[in-house]
Amino acid sequence: MSIEKQPKLTAKDQWIVFKRLLRYAIPHKASITVALILLVLTVTGSIVGPLLIQSFIDNYLTPLDFPKKEVMTLALIYIGLQLFIVVVSYFQSLRFQAIALKVIQQMRIDVFTKVQGLGMRYFDKTPAGSIVSRVTNDTESIKEMFVSVIVTFLQAIFVIIGVYFALFSLDVKLAFMSMGLLPLFMIIVIVYRRYSADFYQDIRERLSQLNAKIAESLSGMGMIQAFRQEERLAKEFDDINEGHYRAGMRNIKFDSVLLGPFIDLLYAIAIVFVLGYFGFMSLESAVDVGIIYAFTTLIGRLFQPVQQVMQRLSIFQQALVSASRVFKLMDDTDMEPSQTDQAKQPIQEGTIEFRDVTFSYDGKNNVLKNISFTANAGETVALVGHTGSGKSSIINLLMRFYEYNQGEILVDGISLKDYPKEELRQKVGLVLQDPFLFYGDIESNIRLHNKEMTGEEVRAAAEFVHANEFIEKLPDKYSQKVTERGSTFSSGQRQLVAFARTIATNPKILVLDEATANIDTETEVAIQASLEKMRKGRTTIAIAHRLSTIQDAELILVLHQGEIVERGNHQQLLAQKGLYYMMYQLQNGLLDDAI
Amino acid sequence: MKVLVQLSWFFKQRRKQYGLGIAALVFVSLLQLLPPKIIGFIVDDITKGTLSSSELIKWLIILAAAGVLMYISRYYWRVMIFGSAVLLSRTMREKLFNHFTRMSPSFYQKRRVGDLMAHATNDINAVQQTAGMGILTLVDSISTGGFVILTMALTINWKLTVIALIPFPFMIFLTSYYGRLLRKKFRFAQEAFSSLNDKTQESISGIKVIKTFGQQKEDIQDFTELSTDVVEKNMRVAKIDALFDPTITGIFAISYILSFFFGTKFIIAGDMSIGDMVAFSTYLGLLIWPMLAFGFLFNIVERGNASYSRISELLSITPEIQDVAGAIAVRPEGDLHFDIDEFKFPEDEAPALRDVHFTLRRGETLGIVGKTGSGKTAILKLLLREFEGYKGSIVYGGHPINQYKQQSLRSSIGYVPQDHFLFSTTVAENIAFTNPKVDREKVYEAARLAYIHEDILGFAEGYETVVGERGVSLSGGQKQRISIARALIMQPELLILDDSLSAVDAKTEEAILEALKQTRTGETTIITSHRLSAIQHAHKIIVLEEGTIIEAGTHDELIALEGKYKEMYDLQQLEVLVEQGGEE
Repeated sequence: MSIEKQPKLTAKDQWIVFKRLLRYAIPHKASITVALILLVLTVTGSIVGPLLIQSFIDNYLTPLDFPKKEVMTLALIYIGLQLFIVVVSYFQSLRFQAIALKVIQQMRIDVFTKVQGLGMRYFDKTPAGSIVSRVTNDTESIKEMFVSVIVTFLQAIFVIIGVYFALFSLDVKLAFMSMGLLPLFMIIVIVYRRYSADFYQDIRERLSQLNAKIAESLSGMGMIQAFRQEERLAKEFDDINEGHYRAGMRNIKFDSVLLGPFIDLLYAIAIVFVLGYFGFMSLESAVDVGIIYAFTTLIGRLFQPVQQVMQRLSIFQQALVSASRVFKLMDDTDMEPSQTDQAKQPIQEGTIEFRDVTFSYDGKNNVLKNISFTANAGETVALVGHTGSGKSSIINLLMRFYEYNQGEILVDGISLKDYPKEELRQKVGLVLQDPFLFYGDIESNIRLHNKEMTGEEVRAAAEFVHANEFIEKLPDKYSQKVTERGSTFSSGQRQLVAFARTIATNPKILVLDEATANIDTETEVAIQASLEKMRKGRTTIAIAHRLSTIQDAELILVLHQGEIVERGNHQQLLAQKGLYYMMYQLQNGLLDDAI
Repeated sequence: MKVLVQLSWFFKQRRKQYGLGIAALVFVSLLQLLPPKIIGFIVDDITKGTLSSSELIKWLIILAAAGVLMYISRYYWRVMIFGSAVLLSRTMREKLFNHFTRMSPSFYQKRRVGDLMAHATNDINAVQQTAGMGILTLVDSISTGGFVILTMALTINWKLTVIALIPFPFMIFLTSYYGRLLRKKFRFAQEAFSSLNDKTQESISGIKVIKTFGQQKEDIQDFTELSTDVVEKNMRVAKIDALFDPTITGIFAISYILSFFFGTKFIIAGDMSIGDMVAFSTYLGLLIWPMLAFGFLFNIVERGNASYSRISELLSITPEIQDVAGAIAVRPEGDLHFDIDEFKFPEDEAPALRDVHFTLRRGETLGIVGKTGSGKTAILKLLLREFEGYKGSIVYGGHPINQYKQQSLRSSIGYVPQDHFLFSTTVAENIAFTNPKVDREKVYEAARLAYIHEDILGFAEGYETVVGERGVSLSGGQKQRISIARALIMQPELLILDDSLSAVDAKTEEAILEALKQTRTGETTIITSHRLSAIQHAHKIIVLEEGTIIEAGTHDELIALEGKYKEMYDLQQLEVLVEQGGEE
């Protein structure tokens, strides 16, 4: 379990983030207007209710006079009103939920779209888990804000306005005096927010510390036991556990002092004032008791929303923190390399030329130095060399995973940067070292999202690479389920599916990163046969770990520390008795006249 | 309610807090009855015109005093009851953690860290809820509910009370029913959310494939569909969730209408006053919470039950490897006789070791070589007594290792594992893991022996640099060397290096081995390695293949044998050369 540092937001940052969040609601203007109208209706209804009762008490109950028609009308209005509130409040709350969910969905799609457009550089420096968190968990906590906080805030405002309307209609003087509650509410909310923000932050951090400690201890239990540190770790855990407990107790005390019980106390005091006011007034002049009833009930309605707002402040705070993280991702400028789209003709031949390409991931250490070579149409160029020699970087540039700034890569004599993205994706096929299978079935893994591809074409592609042989032995054949990353298939089988996937798009240029993983001999034979077939008629750039697989390549480049140190075909390189020769011997175990 | 019985040990332990908390809660329930009553009295006095200012002041003072007392009591019971619940979660967490430290490696092989975490977080949370909210809802629904109803019935009008209460059982039934339904729908929403999460995870892991095939648009489309599913599932939750408030409002309104309708009749009949009516309607308002609480109670307890039994089940597991009765408490030292005829890992078909026999004199170094899966690690795991159930014996320092106390055996062994695990704390604390209070000088010394001292001094904060996710990221070689320093600082009688030099370069490896040779003259060392250079100076080398020894001897003897060892040696010489770009 990873702990991520919570960014501290200043009040100004919070305001900026909040405004930006609200902008997501703009497309739902119409729906929000409807929901707001419904909200105003329910609030009005809930305030009119006590007023109706007040009028019943004062006009009919106190004089014990019940004109049938009027009382019936009043009763029917009351019943109708309650029914109306029940129905409208249901749809109002549903409407707000729907808006919130849609807002969040849009935000998620936006973040996800942004992530898809980011360059590999971003993925290199950011752990996958934290990107996933941005897309799902952070947006989830923003959802809480839209779902429960904003509605509560709005409701609170409407209720307070409505209640004061009602109070003024009943007794202007007392209503005016009860306006004194408003600044009081403001102070409580501000004070509560000020401290609770810190307290909640504190307990959240302690909780993640606690969980991190458990997770780490569980992963490292072997070490803890081997070094007999169980007691010490348990002690350390107790300390964190106790810190968390203390923070928890502090929160309970703090909330009890300022939240529920305090609001109830204020309400009790307000009631004392209301009763006192009317009580003393009644000593001098007549007072309608219905008004007392209405006042005490309505004042009570004033306190509920304040408490609800306070309870939701921490969700609000957390949502802003999450939103600031999401927006940071949205504002990232590490996009994938862009294309100028200047090339007018499509890739015909598939000739590839690297012209004096120098490249560095970090701007400091060059991983490729003055690389130049040409792969003629239909020919195979093999890249060999030790880990870190620069083989993969050549492929990364060719696939436009990273932008290069020194030298030029030409395809059919035109810069790689000038082709439209779609053209490159269609004409350049890559098979990765660790073939990645997606959740779904075999067919969907070959077809990917290409809906135009027929089942026939999928099968043809599989047959072409000899993948059909193992696929047809599967119980469900092409509909065989592929679970998480294809872990139920051997790496050789995964490789074959990846081949089929690439061949199905019929690329002009093939980029192969040969698998290093152990492949059982049976599939190994199939793989070699398919590779040979695939390369026919296609310009191929292949990273070879096993030299035996590329002996027929037209050109073999031996890389060492970012430079081409040897080049030629298999025979020429063997004759040179250089690095290639040694590598060849190493793999064949021919040790006779080695060094 | 089973869980409340199961938790009785805790309630007994905290009987004072629970007792006082519940008393305060009941006190609040009683005090709550006052304001409506007082409002009723004042209203009646006003209607009758009998109100005097002294009486009014008396009532107001009582009202204010009740308010203050309620404030204090409410604060008090929260601290007592919720505080106890937080303490329970702390206690349970501590128990669980201590339990985890006693579990054998096989326990961790069978379970994923994520699942164990879920018990330590979600389940404990649910139990905490039971001991806090559960008790609150239980007591409050009974006491507040009971008192309010009694007051209404006894002091105002029992007939009206019965009438007004008619709709309430529906409320309990409905809200409790919604709660259950909600949980079900919520689970679907949760599943949709985790599908979305998986999808995102997959897209990010497979980003290269997606980019290669130009499938971004389609993938976004896919994501959009899944997120639509999330919206739909959540809307289903919302449809239930949105029922709560209207239902409460509706049922409350029915009860209200009933009480006013019949109340008016009673007033006309002279059975009650207008003030009674006002008080009665306020009491009705007080009933909402206890009714809701009653509905909540069942859901809370139901969850608490399931969680508590999951935790209990976990706590009842006994460690697989335990000290025998009368185990020896001395730190073993001396010769090691390893005689295994056969060993299988639990749940494995094929044996991991067959006929592995060797003797290691005190002070000697043993080198073990062989491919992955040849049985190197199995030998070490048996030595560390992580697994038992083998045919044969392992005698160390004159006794079979299972005759020692586990703690004693471990005190002899300094183990450097293959997958070097460092804790997310400072470098110094990682090295001084076995003894955090050890002299700084000792830490430096161990670091120097492991050839990591200079590297550490080069870090921004030196020995205080924090490693791990939140700190600096170390290279594999640096991690290995810190792990070695961590084992060396305890000056182990038996040092085990499990392929622990694989990520350091040849020169450093040589330096570390030389340092070990110099300082560890009287103690025993076992080194396993892929790379022969790490073991070529050992007193004895065994070559493993498929769980058994195929060659044994010193380096020179094995070279002379012209067998597997020699073949591996030649290949590795060449490999070194290739790595260096072909130049010697």
